Amino acid sequence: MDFMLNITFYAFILGIVAYIVREVWRTGTMRIIALGVLSGALLLNTILVLMRWFEANHAPMSDKFESFVFFAWSIALVYLIMELVTIFIIKVHGSRLGIVGAFQCVLSACFLYCAIGTDSTIKELPPALQSNWLVIHVINYFISYSALSISFSAAIVYLIYRAIYHGKAQEIVMKDITFDKLAYISVTIGFPFLTVGLITGSIWAKGAWGTYWGWDPKEIWSLINWLIYLAYLHLPLILPKTKISKSFRPILLSIILLVAFPTVIFTFMGLHKLPTAGTSDHIYAE
Amino acid sequence: MTKVANPKEKKSENESKIWQFLCSVKLAVIIIVVLAVSCVLGTVILQQLTPEEYVAKYGEVLTKFFTAAQFTDIFHSYWFAILLILLCVNLGSCTVKRWRNTVLQIGFLLTHISIILIMIGCFIDLQLGEKGGVNVYEGKSVDYYLRRGDYKKIPLDFEVFLDDFIIERHPPKFRLISYVKDKDIQKPLSVKVGEKYNIKNSNYSVTIKDLYPDAEYSQKPVNISDEPVNPAVYVQMFGSSDIKAEGWLFAKGRNWYNDENHNMRLEYFWVDNEKEFEKLTKTAEKGLLPKLGIVLEDKGIDREFVIETGANFTIEGTEYKIEIKEFALDYTNRTKPLKDQLVNNPAVRIEIVGPEGSDTRWAFSKYPDYWDKAHQTKYKDIRVACKVPDDFTFASNKMRIVQNQNNEKVISYIENDKVIKVVNWEIGKKCEIGGTGFQLRIAKYFPSYSVQREVVKKSDTMNNPAILVEIAGPRGKVEDWILGQTPATWYPDNNFALLYERSGMEIKDYKSKLRVIDNGQTVLSKTIEVNDPLKYSGYVFYQSSYDPEGEKYSGLQVTKNPGIVVVYSGFIILCVGVVFIFYVKPFLRRKSNKKER
Ligand code: HEM
Repeated sequence: MDFMLNITFYAFILGIVAYIVREVWRTGTMRIIALGVLSGALLLNTILVLMRWFEANHAPMSDKFESFVFFAWSIALVYLIMELVTIFIIKVHGSRLGIVGAFQCVLSACFLYCAIGTDSTIKELPPALQSNWLVIHVINYFISYSALSISFSAAIVYLIYRAIYHGKAQEIVMKDITFDKLAYISVTIGFPFLTVGLITGSIWAKGAWGTYWGWDPKEIWSLINWLIYLAYLHLPLILPKTKISKSFRPILLSIILLVAFPTVIFTFMGLHKLPTAGTSDHIYAE
Repeated sequence: MTKVANPKEKKSENESKIWQFLCSVKLAVIIIVVLAVSCVLGTVILQQLTPEEYVAKYGEVLTKFFTAAQFTDIFHSYWFAILLILLCVNLGSCTVKRWRNTVLQIGFLLTHISIILIMIGCFIDLQLGEKGGVNVYEGKSVDYYLRRGDYKKIPLDFEVFLDDFIIERHPPKFRLISYVKDKDIQKPLSVKVGEKYNIKNSNYSVTIKDLYPDAEYSQKPVNISDEPVNPAVYVQMFGSSDIKAEGWLFAKGRNWYNDENHNMRLEYFWVDNEKEFEKLTKTAEKGLLPKLGIVLEDKGIDREFVIETGANFTIEGTEYKIEIKEFALDYTNRTKPLKDQLVNNPAVRIEIVGPEGSDTRWAFSKYPDYWDKAHQTKYKDIRVACKVPDDFTFASNKMRIVQNQNNEKVISYIENDKVIKVVNWEIGKKCEIGGTGFQLRIAKYFPSYSVQREVVKKSDTMNNPAILVEIAGPRGKVEDWILGQTPATWYPDNNFALLYERSGMEIKDYKSKLRVIDNGQTVLSKTIEVNDPLKYSGYVFYQSSYDPEGEKYSGLQVTKNPGIVVVYSGFIILCVGVVFIFYVKPFLRRKSNKKER
């Protein structure tokens, strides 16, 4: 298992390299190679998830180690699907997603690295976690988080491009660098899953604890994430009516995304740092 | 015409401005952001503490501010409620205003309505819902629960009876944890036989070599040198065919074995001089007999008598007459014939007849003072002792195994204190002993007997596992067994340790067999467990806790959520709405765009 974990980690590192090279050297071959490396890494990650599933005898997303591995897997999977859809279904220029693939590989590698340092012993599920809602809830969240991570990467790329082509907004449009649009699309893909995740979590809590909403820090932070993305989605409706200049609007939206995803990660793995963490049913001590 | 001249018009213009703002997305975004910020505050500032706790934690000034701004219980504060109402109003008004009756807007309509529905449902629950908990003991029932918050007893118009409470547990689990002291790194290792783990950031490595699911320590006799430091023999005594007895005899320790059943005594000697050897092999002294000791300190009397039941003595210089009434080698089994008693707790019962009449007492060889302390005795000046040698036996047959420094090895067979026969013995060979019908075999001889602790497998069920690990580090390799639940095992440099411990989370599930009794009749019975509650008459009973000590009671959470239908409808509509907006609408749009083209 440890060995597989390391191999998968290095496969994602290779993926980073492949996507960077692809960005510099935009050839069809390179595009296929990058796609291949990512698929390979995803395959290895899939094996990891399945092995764990087989070994632990429960859906492999119930403790820290399992969720790290699963998160890495879903990030890669969602990105791969997105790339395949852009190439084969929407049939737009294959490098529309550009360097974002490299960022996604970085994220996957990061989570695998976290997994390597985490207690990987198989633990029995406490009674509250023995529910099908757990699986539905967690899968929704991970798909959502993966899509939102793409919006995060795309926002970074967009801001970098804007910094490079400082003051030449026209050029960006000409170069077809539409990462702000990619970010928006990713949020629209991820947001429904975020909503369903929030709702299923609430239904599950009702079944297990009798309360669908108890103002628990974990619940509150899931709501905060949802509200941030909700604000992001409504903002384009009002921006044209404000004094904010047209070229600054996407920057503002990208900055929101830049803040939003770290809060998602904080909700996922940082809540024990909150002063109110002790009162929570859902935050387990580090 | 100026605006000031027409106040009516101005008012309507103002109104429409307020209305516009109420319907605007701007307000929506503002509310959303304010809500998010409040939520952050609600998890950063500790909630629902007492005023003293706030002062202690945040100081006077901040506490005053928090109390004034209702930051001490944000989610139940007035301004938060107003915020939520404003959200609903904004949503409602904008939805109505923007509705253009097109298919593409369905999602927008659904999501916004659903959020209002969820809010309404929550409000109904808040006003009409109930929430509390109650503990039910096995075999008992409850017809009330304690409300959350104020613990007020709220009556139920039916009874909930707990037939049975069950806790299911997982088989125990164990985990191996490595610890590097100077770096203070703890890392769990998974236990797989044959696996080698290099401990990160250190030069230790651990190899799991073997695993016993259920192990224990056993003592294994070993010989540690050829010098006769602690000579011992392993003796087997055979009857006609089978082994009657076997075991170790130690020249410098317990060197005898009495077998009352076979009227036999075994002795083992290791001597390093000829004279002693001659004496032990050729002669037989009488065995020591149990004796009764009588001491009268103030008269200077100290006498001993051989114990024989029924014997009488007079103590010279006193008026006392003593009779031995009863003798036991094992007091608790004293009703058995003497020959069948093992020398466990020898005792003698005597009767003392003196000037004040007769007095009976037991004297125990192991507890000389016991009787005097526990009973009233007439003649306090007499101290009685029962003296029985540890190796006392009634056996008339004796086999004396003798060995000397010249490696001469003989067995003398002694019957009724006379040496009948002397034979030589050899390790591993059976020797016929005279006409006794017994054979002896000295199976092993250890000049330096010692014991070694060894881990042995007890069974195949995971119960008390042990792992054989090899730790490699700066001082080379060491191999050792580690048992579960024993203190950490340290590598010789005292900087690296392994601990094999039982890990928690053992409870698999807890279940309560509940019965609802309404008007004296059982109307519903169900076994509830976590994630599977019982519902009756608007109330829902959840399995929420249990008696951590005796497992005798079951903790139930009791809720009543009349608004839950509304909330759940809101949930479903919201799901449909978001999926429509972000997954269906784009396709519809593309289709219509294509058509236009
Ligand atoms: C899951 C939640 C939500 C989704 C998916 C959503 C989606 C939308 C969409 C798609 C529109 C544009 C409608 C159109 O003009 O065709 C819209 C408009 C609007 N939304 Fe939401 N919304 C959500 C929640 C909220 C909330 C919580 C608020 C409340 C404060 C809100 C306030 C508004 C307002 C005021 C508009 C009017 C925009 C306009 O001027 O047309 N929405 N929403």
